Amino acid sequence: MTLAPGALAARAHPFTPLVVTAAIAVAALAVPGPGPALALYALTLVLVVTTGTGQAALRALVPLAPLWFFLFLLHGVLGEGGRVTVEGISLSRDGLALATTQAARLGAIATASLAMYAGFSPSRFVDAVAEREWSFSVAYLVVATLLALPRFRARAAVILEAQRSRGLRLRGSPLSRIRALGPITFPLLLGALAEVDERGFALETRCAAGSARRTALAPPLDTTADRLVRWLAAGAGMAAVAWRVVG
Amino acid sequence: MNARLLALLPAAIAINLVIGGLVNALGLPLYLDSIGTILAAVLAGPAVGMLAGGIGQVLFGLINGYQWIPFGLVQLLIAALAGLAASRAGFRLPSSSLAWGLLTGLLAGALSSVLSYVLFKGVTATGTTAVVTLLRQVGWSLPVAVTASSLLLDLVDKSAAFLLVGALVRALPLRMMGRFPRAARAVGR
Amino acid sequence: MTALAFDEAGFTYPGAAAPALAQCTFAAEAGAITWLTGPLGAGTSTALLLAAGLAPRHTGGHRSGAVRTLGVDPAEPGAPAILGGRVALVLSSPAAQLSGIAETVAQEVAFAPANLGWPRERIHSAVDRAMEALGIAHLAARDPSTLSGGEMQRVVLAAMLVLRPALWLLDEPTSALDSAGRALLHDILRSEAARGAAVVVASEDADGLYAVADRLVVLSGGCAVLDGAPQDLLRGDAVWDAGVGSTTIGTLARVAGVDAPRPLTVDEGVARWTR
Repeated sequence: MTLAPGALAARAHPFTPLVVTAAIAVAALAVPGPGPALALYALTLVLVVTTGTGQAALRALVPLAPLWFFLFLLHGVLGEGGRVTVEGISLSRDGLALATTQAARLGAIATASLAMYAGFSPSRFVDAVAEREWSFSVAYLVVATLLALPRFRARAAVILEAQRSRGLRLRGSPLSRIRALGPITFPLLLGALAEVDERGFALETRCAAGSARRTALAPPLDTTADRLVRWLAAGAGMAAVAWRVVG
Repeated sequence: MNARLLALLPAAIAINLVIGGLVNALGLPLYLDSIGTILAAVLAGPAVGMLAGGIGQVLFGLINGYQWIPFGLVQLLIAALAGLAASRAGFRLPSSSLAWGLLTGLLAGALSSVLSYVLFKGVTATGTTAVVTLLRQVGWSLPVAVTASSLLLDLVDKSAAFLLVGALVRALPLRMMGRFPRAARAVGR
Repeated sequence: MTALAFDEAGFTYPGAAAPALAQCTFAAEAGAITWLTGPLGAGTSTALLLAAGLAPRHTGGHRSGAVRTLGVDPAEPGAPAILGGRVALVLSSPAAQLSGIAETVAQEVAFAPANLGWPRERIHSAVDRAMEALGIAHLAARDPSTLSGGEMQRVVLAAMLVLRPALWLLDEPTSALDSAGRALLHDILRSEAARGAAVVVASEDADGLYAVADRLVVLSGGCAVLDGAPQDLLRGDAVWDAGVGSTTIGTLARVAGVDAPRPLTVDEGVARWTR
């Protein structure tokens, strides 16, 4: 998902979407009942659209749809408690409420997470951490892993193709499929280990684990608006928890 | 944190997150999303395995939804058990790898199902949820259905993972084995 | 000034039956290009790892004898703090040497200086200079993972050049480079040596290095068996006895039955055979 350069999600300080998403996750788990949960999901959708990451709302539906279906089935159809009949199907009233609450919770969390990931910029994140003199190692691990994912996926696809062209049968008897596990995973794993060796040498030589304070190459702007949004989000998250505890 | 770990951890985590897609092509009921954790624990100790599993799960949650993050506890458990197995040459033979895999599957499955039920009343992964729905239809209560489905899938998954890692480490070239002394101990050399 | 000194140094990898280096003695001076070579398994890569302090720290194993890099023992716990940013290591496969967190080539080249805490302005000007020197300024905004092998190796070289290191350690640095890249690398090594850095290159590329290197050290069976001026050694039989060859023309001459001292270049060969 590519963001428009002017989009709010791209201009915000890297920590802002992180805090907001965390707050939404906390609030989603804390809010009681279907009404508040649906309101939170709606709010998440509005936020996602206004910050330029609207596609995340649609992308999130992919994992959400089957989950929603099973929630409905598990709690709405097979749930206990007082029944209500809709179009000739007997549904559990309590079960429907529970299913709706869970569905809205998961919807908010999944949508917020995907939106945040879409707007995540590795280099701005590293610079933001360096600017605050926080641990470079942690920032390095997060970013290096995220950037390694497409590389590993591409390598896995190449290995799969190579083995397939060598005659490896991917479908067939369960036994032959189990035997194929080695040939498709080993090359990836061994290649990764060999790379770990050399990269370890390179990182040491380039002082990645050194004790000096890392310089931020292009420190992202942390505006008053950013700080305000973060405080508001954190406050809202805590308020949701308080509501759950007290109410 | 040293440079070697900075190189190892992203690879181990990426393996966790990517190998599932590879295995999917085979259509087997496996996730193998802990292979990186187990490998890291065998090569560099349980603490490193826990870092790989824990950070990996947080990243997975970041990408696919924060609801997955609590399952990082399961990864921590797997790392601890894999580290324990490695310290006792548990990967010396396929049979011993399998035994440790079954034990890990049992314990990891139990923890998984507890988390699943406590956090989401049994609905997270479509696979387990499908099994749970089936069992509910037959009349099992929700907690039992969630536990049973989680356990079964985890037994198979972790056994396969332990067997694969064992086979891989036993097949490591000598020079690579030298770089990771714990690996030699894990396979009883 | 001696930048690198091996004194009866030996090294055995963990679990290995035989040592990779044994009683190895040679030195590399500042301002000079020292060319390290040997038959397969002679220990040239190991020697570089020892010089960089990566063996035994990263590789495990046991070292005997003495190694001194820029005046310190690289295996000592305090060595990384002293040597950090002053020793450059360039290996043959570029992809594995990338930082893993850079989204652009400029960020990749800036990785080490940023880690060392250089001020921003100093980093930006040093990065620009290094990219110019390696002819990759036009790639500054590119994603490093999308580059070709040759371009990636130039980026890795720039990422080291930016530090103006006191000691260069290169292991088969030209295998990913085309002939233009190789020529550029040799120019850079010459100018680095002229600046006062010590350059140690482990390579089998006799044709490339015979004219660039100031000193040739041949390792065999883990110890230094030959040590002298490259042109002199390559013309004789000793390099052949040690299991190493000569330049293409030198090899041709030997096969043709010409006695030492043999010609090393086409021009020398023409001069010799058209007498």
